[in-house]
Amino acid sequence: MHRACVLAAALACAAPPTLAQSTTETELSRRLDQLASELAKVKAELATLQQQRFAAPPVATAPAAATTAASTTAAASTTAAQGPGLAAEPTTVLTSYGEINYNRSTRDSKNTVADVRRFVLGYQHRFDEKTKVVTELEVEHAVSSSSDPGEVEVEQAFIERQLTRQWSARAGLFLIPAGLLNENHEPTAYYGVERNFVETAIIPSTWREGGIQFVGNFENGLTAQFGLTTGFDLNKWDATSTEGRESPLGAIHQELALAKAGDLSAFGALNWRGVPGLLLGGSLFTGGATHGQSSEKSRITLWDLHARYTPGRWDFAGVYSRGTISNTAAFNTPLVGSATLIPKSFDGWYGQAAYKVWSNEDYSLSPFVRWEQFNTARSFADLGAGLTPAGARTERVITLGANFNIGSGIVLKADLQRFRENGYANRFDLGLGWSF
Amino acid sequence: MRIALVGSIAAASALAPAAAFAVDYLSAEEAARLMFPDAERFELHEIVLDAAQLQALDARGVRGRSARWQSLAARRGDATLGHVIVDQVTGKFELIGYAVGIALDGTLKPVEILSYRESHGGEIRLPAWRRQFAGKSSTSTLRVGDDIANISGATLSCTHVTDGVRRIVAVFDLVKKSGGLR
Amino acid sequence: MGIIPIKLAGLKRSGLAAAGMARDGFTDMAMRIGAIGLTGLLASVAACGGGGTTSATDAPATATLSAAAAVGEKIFHDPSLSASGLQSCASCHDAAHGHSPANALAAQLGGPNGELQGMRKAPAIRYLAANTPFFFAADGTPTGGFFWDGRARTFAEQATEPFVNPFEMANADKAAVVAKVAAAPYAAEFKALYGAGVFGDVESAYLRISLAVQQYEREDTEFNSYSSKYDAFLRGTATLAEQELRGLALYNAPGKGNCAACHPSARGADGALPLFTDFSYDNLGVPRNPELVRNADPASFDLGLCQRADLTARSDLCGAFKVPSLRNVAVREAFFHNGRFKSLKDVLTFYVQRDTNPEKWYPIAGDGKVQKFDDLPERHRANVNTTEGPYNRRPGEAPALSDAEIDDVIAFLKTLNDGYAP
Repeated sequence: MHRACVLAAALACAAPPTLAQSTTETELSRRLDQLASELAKVKAELATLQQQRFAAPPVATAPAAATTAASTTAAASTTAAQGPGLAAEPTTVLTSYGEINYNRSTRDSKNTVADVRRFVLGYQHRFDEKTKVVTELEVEHAVSSSSDPGEVEVEQAFIERQLTRQWSARAGLFLIPAGLLNENHEPTAYYGVERNFVETAIIPSTWREGGIQFVGNFENGLTAQFGLTTGFDLNKWDATSTEGRESPLGAIHQELALAKAGDLSAFGALNWRGVPGLLLGGSLFTGGATHGQSSEKSRITLWDLHARYTPGRWDFAGVYSRGTISNTAAFNTPLVGSATLIPKSFDGWYGQAAYKVWSNEDYSLSPFVRWEQFNTARSFADLGAGLTPAGARTERVITLGANFNIGSGIVLKADLQRFRENGYANRFDLGLGWSF
Repeated sequence: MRIALVGSIAAASALAPAAAFAVDYLSAEEAARLMFPDAERFELHEIVLDAAQLQALDARGVRGRSARWQSLAARRGDATLGHVIVDQVTGKFELIGYAVGIALDGTLKPVEILSYRESHGGEIRLPAWRRQFAGKSSTSTLRVGDDIANISGATLSCTHVTDGVRRIVAVFDLVKKSGGLR
Repeated sequence: MGIIPIKLAGLKRSGLAAAGMARDGFTDMAMRIGAIGLTGLLASVAACGGGGTTSATDAPATATLSAAAAVGEKIFHDPSLSASGLQSCASCHDAAHGHSPANALAAQLGGPNGELQGMRKAPAIRYLAANTPFFFAADGTPTGGFFWDGRARTFAEQATEPFVNPFEMANADKAAVVAKVAAAPYAAEFKALYGAGVFGDVESAYLRISLAVQQYEREDTEFNSYSSKYDAFLRGTATLAEQELRGLALYNAPGKGNCAACHPSARGADGALPLFTDFSYDNLGVPRNPELVRNADPASFDLGLCQRADLTARSDLCGAFKVPSLRNVAVREAFFHNGRFKSLKDVLTFYVQRDTNPEKWYPIAGDGKVQKFDDLPERHRANVNTTEGPYNRRPGEAPALSDAEIDDVIAFLKTLNDGYAP
């Protein structure tokens, strides 16, 4: 169009022809011819290109993959796949999530801490249509060294292979499907600055084991997961520290770090999502925990039931979990009198309700309330009169707060937590989290 | 805006994906047939949005994302039954291929998931979730957590697919209003 | 924590050539030295596991001593190696008493005539295979080392001192010791092991004497038998009596005895049996012992860690002494670095009543005030541990353990004696 105008202008300027201007005229007409042939060539190229695109199988939509919500991931892709019948070109995707938290004790303001609680960097690399590797590396508390409080750990490292339409297999270090939080533990996935206690003290999120797992997805909405993995190490129990009282399984998990694997554990999880917005499920994990290190044997079992219902703007969730350790009397007897003996059972539950009170294109605000009760040492095996510790008091925590989501992947959180037993733990928290 | 009729012969093969494996559950063809079982043939159409239309979409709060769209028109004889648009969005990290069927009156058919590769969230393929879209139109809210229920553990996939559907519905609504559809 | 640098300085080619060594012999000796050094190196590295436990398995190792250990055993028991001719290592480190002295003297008598009082009570030397050279842990805690002040880095280094200590075996110098070994009945064995010309060089011969003793102390199962009733209990082959179990509970309980805080009683995470010490140091303010001759001089103080030449600047460590293992404590006759107490009952009563009833333990000055921590100069008395239980109470408060509870704990401590036979 533009060229046509220019051409017209040029032509207009070219008139009236004079002897001196006859060379200009031929020059101009030569140029015109040139332009015309070029235009024809371009048109032809365009036509063939279009034909090629239509004929080539992996083509159906115009937009390139790079302009989706998680555009940062595509930026890191080596080759972006096109079309629903995704080409078998491998892609490498960078993933990350992070949490920066601020906790202020309401009774004792000098007990105020701000922390880069987690910084996680991971990648997923797709080898081919059926196979990919998923890894995650985590840094806790910002600085990790022998004299700093941080830790660096490999949180996930597994291969996933699609076997059939319904079944896939995973092998390596992966998350155990327990509760609502363990597999979806990014800060954008839960309400409140800190993860709830039932799923940190009872179910030791982020709980991962090494082994193999099979995942089946069925048309009726059922997802089945089961596998064989490493487990806990009861020999690690330190009766002189309070770690075991804060989280019994958290104190003895191995995280596949030179993990003792003399005893293996088995797990299974069933989740049903047949009705949109409703999730009902449960899991069971059980295995030996002594690995032949002592003459006694002990088995650790953890199971849970969970439900989540999200009608419209509401989000209801509940979890109950219970863990048991067998033969604790034999292990506790040499530790008798110490500060923290091995409990025979520990359990907890919570109920949570959230409502998306306001939202627009970019933001949404969801206040929530959560009531949880848990006991990390519900009962102890009998060691004899005067020597058997009493069960701990059940802690009850009420959390009131709100998540403010920015875009998709960023969340600002604030909440107030009130403890029934340990009033000094009452706190006001602020948090910033992201996930992609 | 122009609609170019590229050729119905090429149409079917154009949208047929490569040899599908487990993660490719449906081809575009199969999805289109599921949505419009009465159709005799499907013809490939191209929609090109101009600047004004893109701006209008933005004003509606739907980012146009692209000016070019392709659709399969479901034809029976000389009549058009509806259109099927195939699109892809990113779930969490991987692409989800899906198809949206819009009848002539602007109402939606159940969404079909063509391919899904994420480790989690495959439940968006459940018929119950996809059926939620049936009957919705451009006047519906079409948002997760509002008129579309979420699937626990698949929030991003649900949200992105729903956003995609909403976008497609808006594009189609705009094009129809300007008379570009036959 | 350090890898022990084995001093092979004496192995000079020129010296050996002068001694007429064939090249084969040199290689042979070098290999033997290397083997011993490597064994020592490996043993020390394997033993550098931090406080409290060893990497020993449940089953005690069967005792077939290596050549070096066999010679070391003979050296250990040879009284002729002293100036008086009456004192050997075994004289003060008696196997029947957990390798601590067989009498209740505050400090053993030695010297050329066997009448000079030593500086401190001779420590028990069992269960030290996991002991490392002295170092400051990441949090600043002094850890490791042999002797009450940790000044020797290894068994071998510790063995080099009594031979030439004028208050102990009182040899004039190393040459005298070497000459005595050369004249001993096992000299041939020594030469067979270290080479015929070993006695030609005093320094290297003296080093090998101490290394032989070290090998004996490391290899002989008597030093690491793990044969107590408590070990059997941990292995599941014995049960503790009611009183013993009560005693263990009081021993462990942080609010009662809290003994496990410095003398851990639990198996390690790797299943290792407990050594009942964390190899650290503590300042208990043990009362001054008039039995020690040098304490007649009121200006004389045994300041422990800060008395070491390399730690004189650390006045915060004045008065701190090694936390010993409590294995076989019930067969020891005197307790603490200055042998102030002679019975476990007194020791435990002191622990729990030091602060609730100080007048029982310390002299009362003319003005009626108790001279607490009298074995330290005034300026260092603040170093005494008053924050950890059970010695963190005040006069008038009840002691952490009652009399009957102390008896329970003693009953438990008796289960730590080696040589349990059901």
